[in-house]
Amino acid sequence: MRARLPVMALLGLLVATSARADVSLEYAVKAAYLPKFIPFITWPETAFAGPATPVTICVLGSDPFGGRLEQAAGELKSGDRTIAVRYLQPSDASAACQLVFVGKTDETVAEATLDAMKGKPVVTVTDSGLKAHGVISFVIDANHVRFDIDNASAAQTGVVISSKLLNLAHAVKPRGQP
Amino acid sequence: MNGRGWTPSILAALAAAALLVAAGIWMAAYQERRYSEQQIKSVREQAEVLAASATAAILFGDSSAAQEYVDGLRANPELLGAAIYGADGRRMAGFARGTQLPEQLASLRANPGPGYVDIAVPAGPKGTRTGIVLLRSVTEPPERRFVRYLGLILLVTMGGLVIAVLSVAQAQLARRHQQLTAVNARLHEEMEERRKTEDALRQAHKMEAIGQLSGGIAHDFNNLIMIVKGNLRLLRRKLGDEQGPVGTYIVSADEALDRAAYLTQRILAFSRRQPLTPQRVHLGALAEGLSELLRHSVGEKVEIVLRLNGSWPTHCDVNQMENVILNLSINARDAMPNGGRLVIETADRTLSEPPPDLESQNFVPGEYASLAVIDTGSGMSEEVRRRAVDPFFTTKPQGKGTGLGLSMTFGFVRQSDGYLLIESAPDKGTAITILMPRDSEEAA
Repeated sequence: MRARLPVMALLGLLVATSARADVSLEYAVKAAYLPKFIPFITWPETAFAGPATPVTICVLGSDPFGGRLEQAAGELKSGDRTIAVRYLQPSDASAACQLVFVGKTDETVAEATLDAMKGKPVVTVTDSGLKAHGVISFVIDANHVRFDIDNASAAQTGVVISSKLLNLAHAVKPRGQP
Repeated sequence: MNGRGWTPSILAALAAAALLVAAGIWMAAYQERRYSEQQIKSVREQAEVLAASATAAILFGDSSAAQEYVDGLRANPELLGAAIYGADGRRMAGFARGTQLPEQLASLRANPGPGYVDIAVPAGPKGTRTGIVLLRSVTEPPERRFVRYLGLILLVTMGGLVIAVLSVAQAQLARRHQQLTAVNARLHEEMEERRKTEDALRQAHKMEAIGQLSGGIAHDFNNLIMIVKGNLRLLRRKLGDEQGPVGTYIVSADEALDRAAYLTQRILAFSRRQPLTPQRVHLGALAEGLSELLRHSVGEKVEIVLRLNGSWPTHCDVNQMENVILNLSINARDAMPNGGRLVIETADRTLSEPPPDLESQNFVPGEYASLAVIDTGSGMSEEVRRRAVDPFFTTKPQGKGTGLGLSMTFGFVRQSDGYLLIESAPDKGTAITILMPRDSEEAA
């Protein structure tokens, strides 16, 4: 029963930029959301190579955003760090990522990827429709894009998610729960 | 005296009161400014807190979450409105009480109106601006302002009260002063009256003393005259018919003794020691009987008018009274050497108040038969009038008057329980009035 994300509110933004790519509204919203998670997440210092290292969003598998993600990431900063976007194959999941988006893919691939990330200071974001859930998982609720947060597994990786973000989540699995 | 004037001390108090009120007004204004500065600061802090906590909601465009944050501020009654505007300038969430916040941030007016203040704070993650938090507050709640100005009102009221009390006290003081002045004036009047009375008393005492002294001397002197007179008589008898020139000596000595006896008689009359044989007498009848003699005495140049209106009898020595009338008439004649009119007037008078000049003589109110001898002569100055009854006081040339006429009259009249009244002014004539108590006993 947490806040409802108004897809309509973002419509104006989308109309200005959606002319070139044939991307669904759902992924446009998700592309806008992904970089916005970053200012509310604190990684341990060990997650970065240096103080100026950008926060990297890694997209596994095919790119469902059609360039919108790069656009949204360019408009935001997390503290002094810029936000970068990389596209990876599931096989070379790398520690250089701070936020990993697991798109629609085979369930086993998703499970394997998530297992590989376990214990690393990486916030995994799973797409809606997947059985496997990362730290953040998109859900579609009443035709609105929303997200759940598994704060328990976030705590295991040493990542701290701001209560401001938790406040907006559709559902939260609090710290300490198995 | 300036009863309504303000004394310097009251002016100083007024100035101090005005100064106090001015200080009060300044303090109220100063506090108001200080308060509104603090209020703005506190509202800005609240806006910053709201902006920080609602960042995520603004970023994700979550208006219901934003509304929850905004609603948290409803508890503060001084906030009239709060709103969160997204990056696109549209209002995402907000509330307003008795005021209106625009739908679009762009249409927000710079000045919200008197008594209101708008505070806008940017919201967003560090380094980015994603929205605006707007709070509208009263600069000061009315009840707080009222309480502050109540102090001022109390101060002004107190100042007014002080002024009122001072003016009442001033008025009272002025009234008291007036009363005191009146009392003082009355005191002075009474003192003057008392001084006059004391003067009169002293005069009476003087007269009394002189009377007693001269009376005593005259009495003894009279006895001596009688001895000399007796011896002269014996001498004459001894000489028999062959007196010769010695006889004429004896006669002139005897005549001189007679004159001396007459003088002592008059002194005794003044000193009220002469033997009197009072009887019931009508002054009018007495004057009428004397009129022929008076005509001869005053001469042809003086006209005599009798106005005998009195009917009441009195009780006195007839011979002495005749002497008095004669004496007064001759005095009147002497005052009119070139002729004039002499009026002898009798009247019945009921007096409840002492006539002027008689206050000091223990005047007894009652019924009096009066006899006045009025001339149109030279009159007397006030000084002479006052001393007129003093024995041996005379205005006649040396050797012409004894100075005993009026004092003898005064002595006789007082001895008979009557009063002597002298009214005169220079060139206005003289009126001498004798007031004799009415003899109310029925004629035997």
